[in-house]
Amino acid sequence: MIVRPLPPNTHPPRDFQGYKSTALRHPQQPLLAVPQDALMQAGPRFYAPAYAKHTDDLTIKGPGAPLGERIIVHGKVTDEDGKPLTHTLVELWQCNAAGRYQHPVDQHDAPLDPNFVGGGMAITDTQGRYQFVTIKPGAYPWRNHPNAWRPAHLHFSIFGQSLLQRLVTQMYFPGDPLLAYDPIFGGLPSAKAQDSLIARFDMAGTKPEWALAYEFNIVLSGSPANAGGTPAQH
Amino acid sequence: MTQALQPTASQTVGPFFNPPIKLDGLDKAFDSGDLITLEGRLFDGAGTPIGDAMIEFWQADGAGKQASNGNAIGAQAGFARIGTDSEGRFCLTTVKPGAIAGAAPHIAVTVFARGLLRHLFTRVYFAADATDAVQKLAGARAATLIASAVSANHYRWDIHVQGAQETVFFDF
Repeated sequence: MIVRPLPPNTHPPRDFQGYKSTALRHPQQPLLAVPQDALMQAGPRFYAPAYAKHTDDLTIKGPGAPLGERIIVHGKVTDEDGKPLTHTLVELWQCNAAGRYQHPVDQHDAPLDPNFVGGGMAITDTQGRYQFVTIKPGAYPWRNHPNAWRPAHLHFSIFGQSLLQRLVTQMYFPGDPLLAYDPIFGGLPSAKAQDSLIARFDMAGTKPEWALAYEFNIVLSGSPANAGGTPAQH
Repeated sequence: MTQALQPTASQTVGPFFNPPIKLDGLDKAFDSGDLITLEGRLFDGAGTPIGDAMIEFWQADGAGKQASNGNAIGAQAGFARIGTDSEGRFCLTTVKPGAIAGAAPHIAVTVFARGLLRHLFTRVYFAADATDAVQKLAGARAATLIASAVSANHYRWDIHVQGAQETVFFDF
């Protein structure tokens, strides 16, 4: 699959002063424009049967139910033309309801939840849809600047149908007051880019007396019109 | 042309990617054949090892073809994912890929880490090749893309995201 040039202001800049960790971790040489070759136009495929059942339900991995607010997060993975990207791997990882990751490096003074690991995966169906059941993550402090707090977020990793479509991102919740103070979200270069990461509260998708729902649609770059065509010239 | 949808923006992988994303057994792109190891370290612009990165590898098989089979955890052979250790080290087990579509044998490499708001694409070759299109485009910096042979089946290749030895990263 050939990927179109991205519209301006799609992704955050690699060097963003507000987010300190970018300072020594961004290339200073310009990226080298190279052809979209056959290896990159392909990309790893993942095979649903190899995964155990219920990998998309993060609330049933412990001996008991995790603490926190159960939520449904669902959406569609498409390309820029709205074409569903079927059979693609979507991974999700997150902290627990108290704002703590089950990760050795996370030393935030908040409790771990023995019933919540915080990772799951799904493979999109024939309409490009995925769905997770999980727990609403908490906010947590970090050391980027004094009194820095990350807004509640879910980490997503999506492969698409070509390595050129690879995307790792974070989903945020609508109306979160911390979004205005977060340099990772705030580094997004346009309102459209910011909107692309805020889930929509989905009243129609809620399960009465069970869980609220959020819809998070994911758009990967790509052009089906050129699929199988010759690599872009640079 | 109809109005295209806004592509979803990228964000950092963060420092806390969890076990489900560091899938056990994914440090082998291939687990049979004439196996090689590719080891190296990842450094920031101050020369400090990056100990919280996730690196993905994607390659053709020894004949230059894309594998048609999956491995035990369900990923297509030719794909691997490794979390760097506290010294920034990674060690990939694989087979040396064949030449693919006219390019010299190489492995596509994608780097994710805290502080990378967008992943970085690069690649690693096993030898300099004056006829390879990307090595030609990289010019004098092509050396940053070429692993050195430690022994017959053992290669070393470091990645520098910034600084005097900065690795060539790509814009496709």
